Amino acid sequence: MEYLLIAIQDVFTGPSLFWVAGGVLLGYILGAIPGLGKATGVAVSIPLTFYLDPVSALGLLIGIAKGSGAGSAVSAILLNTPGEPSSAPTALDGYPLARQGKAQKTLKMGLFASVIGDFVSTVVLILLAAPLARYALLIGPVELCAILVFSLTFIGGLSGGSMIKGLIAACFGIFFATVGMETETFVPRLTFGFLQLDDGISLVPMAIGMLAVAEMIVQAGNLRELDAQTERMKDSDNPDDRRITGPEWRRCAPVIARGSLIGTIVGILPGLGASVGSFLSYGATKRASKTPEKFGTGMIEGVAASESADNAVVPSSLIPLFALGIPGSVIAAILIAAFILHGLTPGPRMFTEQPRLVADLYIAMLSASLIMLALGYAGQRIFAMIIRVPLRLIIPGVLLFCCVGAYMETSSVFSIYIMLAFTLIGFLSRKLDFSFVTFLIGFVVAPKLELSFRQSLQLLNHDWANLVKHPIAIAFFLAAIATVLAVARKEARQSVGTIDTKREELS
Amino acid sequence: MRRANAISGFVLAAIAILALLVVIPWQIENGPAGMMSPRLVPQLMMGAVLVLSVLLVLTNLEPAGRDDPPPFSREELRALALISGVFAVSITLYLTIGALAFGSVLVAGTLVVLGERRPLIVAGMPVALMLLLWVLFYKILGTAIL
Amino acid sequence: MTTRRTLLATAAGLALALTGLPAMAQDEYPTKPITMLVGYGAGGQTDLIARASAKVLADQLGQPVNVVNKPGAGGAVAANELRGMAPDGYTILFQSNAVINAAPFLMDRVDFKPDDFEYAGMITAYQTGLAAPKDAPYEDLTGFIAWARENPDFAYAALSAEARMYMDRIAEQEGLQANAVPVQSGSEMVNTLLAKQVAVAFSGGIHYRYPDEIKTIAPTTTFRHPSAPDVPTIEEAGFPLAMDTRTVIILPKGTPREILDRISSALKAAETDPEFVKVTETANIPIMYYDAAAAAKEMQETYDKNKVILTGGN
Repeated sequence: MEYLLIAIQDVFTGPSLFWVAGGVLLGYILGAIPGLGKATGVAVSIPLTFYLDPVSALGLLIGIAKGSGAGSAVSAILLNTPGEPSSAPTALDGYPLARQGKAQKTLKMGLFASVIGDFVSTVVLILLAAPLARYALLIGPVELCAILVFSLTFIGGLSGGSMIKGLIAACFGIFFATVGMETETFVPRLTFGFLQLDDGISLVPMAIGMLAVAEMIVQAGNLRELDAQTERMKDSDNPDDRRITGPEWRRCAPVIARGSLIGTIVGILPGLGASVGSFLSYGATKRASKTPEKFGTGMIEGVAASESADNAVVPSSLIPLFALGIPGSVIAAILIAAFILHGLTPGPRMFTEQPRLVADLYIAMLSASLIMLALGYAGQRIFAMIIRVPLRLIIPGVLLFCCVGAYMETSSVFSIYIMLAFTLIGFLSRKLDFSFVTFLIGFVVAPKLELSFRQSLQLLNHDWANLVKHPIAIAFFLAAIATVLAVARKEARQSVGTIDTKREELS
Repeated sequence: MRRANAISGFVLAAIAILALLVVIPWQIENGPAGMMSPRLVPQLMMGAVLVLSVLLVLTNLEPAGRDDPPPFSREELRALALISGVFAVSITLYLTIGALAFGSVLVAGTLVVLGERRPLIVAGMPVALMLLLWVLFYKILGTAIL
Repeated sequence: MTTRRTLLATAAGLALALTGLPAMAQDEYPTKPITMLVGYGAGGQTDLIARASAKVLADQLGQPVNVVNKPGAGGAVAANELRGMAPDGYTILFQSNAVINAAPFLMDRVDFKPDDFEYAGMITAYQTGLAAPKDAPYEDLTGFIAWARENPDFAYAALSAEARMYMDRIAEQEGLQANAVPVQSGSEMVNTLLAKQVAVAFSGGIHYRYPDEIKTIAPTTTFRHPSAPDVPTIEEAGFPLAMDTRTVIILPKGTPREILDRISSALKAAETDPEFVKVTETANIPIMYYDAAAAAKEMQETYDKNKVILTGGN
């Protein structure tokens, strides 16, 4: 604790604050540009990171991660092209709100939810890193498998108009996720002889094609209507459309709290990532809402749910790194490399051997949250003007940035082919109303689920009776069964037929 | 949407059958004994798609109502075709000439197919965007991206 | 803002000023920046060493060395691409030599042979081996086998096909019953050891970062690990299965001898470069420098040896 004051001095007098601010700014700009995002930012900052002192390096990386998390909400809300897959649920309600002329309000909610989620998670990291990481070790493959099964029960709720079509999309997501070398048997699956596919279909180019490029093509096909709508859409005189009202805060506060919690937990668990966090939070909020059918038409709670969880994942994914020395994310892995380049070994020993450094890191992270708030607040006015630019001037630039973002993932043009293939799939799924959200969830969750299932089989020695040694897993399996039963009963109570026709009319 | 649903159900069922009978056995070896087969998950998924798409067809068999607009508008299909064309040309240029040609033609080509005709913009925007990328990556961040 | 490139240029300028101009006059290569491919994503062990080496090479050669990550199939994608590049010394691949001396025997679609490339030296070795939780009741392979006989159906974390091969061979020879738990990454492997979910795991060397929690029970190298000199290797324990892996600089076939020698003598400076030494010490990666000729010889020898181990000589 006594180091915190010294740390504040260190951070505010040294070069670190500059790098933190630079990181947030860069991340925010890259995040707000469709096609570019966290992956791009981290990739370009690696060489820089290795030459900076550890606090500045962490500041820069964490700034980029936080900034891009908040920035990707901007493109999701204004253009319906989420900068990252984790902002896809933000677009579901954020874009309709922006088209209703409430862009500034929505951007503000996205920013505040991001900052709060991020701040909560950072505080959890600072106060609870060591004990939480020990508990996280209790979550082995068997438990993870149960947790993933539980989280999949949320897919049904996100499937949009028709449950059947949502499930078909999810099955395709899982199917495409199986491409590449299978981890247990080392058998390549569906690679058609391409070595580039051995590591699977990469999430970034896939998501860019599906979310951004496909959306741009659909908008290109509706240029006239959209531009006409923009003409009519003048800033309303009602100041309530530009700011967040008291009742909205009251409705969103519990949503943000839940989102922050979900995001923090997802971050600690190994290898799940921000997308799982924001999808889960959006699904949970929709399920808890009294008016779930309004989600997707412009519910500000949807934006709050998705963004708070999305941003809460980043700081807490550093918990395994600080407490155990295990990287829980790509950013953490690069940080380890940066630490080692400076002769530091990340892990529990850092706290006893380098307490001042650890305190410096904490202060840098907290100041990143505040800088993000300030930058984002200043930026949202400027960004909100993008919505006025005619689309034919926006689409070409977006397409170029999408190609850059996809290319940089592997430094190879193969990624652009992947992007284009999924552009076509994304276009068809949009127009035929197969939810790309459930597709993405399937794609993100399935590989982890299959692997943890394979691991569980081996760890349980092929005998399910051994499950009794894993009470946490049993709890989650039971919760999953209970959720499915509850949903089934709810569906049964309201006659299935009437719902379907009603939803058809809506779509 | 009903007609589109029924048709896409048929197509998806055909894809699932094709995957189950041809693609999966052809592209995925059967793994060693004692482990879960690598074919299992893809097969389960395609099986599920088959069942679900049959369901989709069955629930959408009744004839379409009068107000049943086609899922794709003519403009959207046109946009898809034109932008695909621009991509095809740009990628050919990337493979034969290089990244600069790719970026310029992609931006200028898309501008033209979207109806922009002012020569200043068609010529200026590719230059401005490429310059922006160059300044951002090569000057500010000091990273070669190509 | 100071960029990496200007930093490098300054460093290079300084180096030139110190060594004087003759070095430039003698040698034409290199006259432009060099691209160093790394066949893994950023942030891993090999990437770390590659970037540290790139810095040394840039200082020595007087030209920037830009690292480009080209991940895919354990480096096979990058090596495949390198094969088609001009043999001018301006594109080099920094990779584990396993991509050439082991991958062809483990992956159907990889058919590299040592003769397909040129080598400009090796710099570090991986401390691969079998690792176990610190409080496990066995200290070496012999002790482990005795324990495993008493505890059939123990769990074993396998990160790669080689990893699985080791336990399969040992289990077959000794009549053990092992459950191989697949893991996807080094950090996941460490996780299973820290949480004591498995009795033993195959590690590429990162377990040395956790000296309080993890110990080595059998190096799978021909040499004892510098980080654990008291633990006998797998060959000392009676299993002729040791396969050494080292980081190597790979160039396209036909690269002139002078260029290989120029890079390999520049690489030698890493041995004594304080920055490089600090990085490798922190990461527990031993420096074992081989010049171009020795690297080519090592490549051929390990290729032949691994072929016997992994395929039975066919």
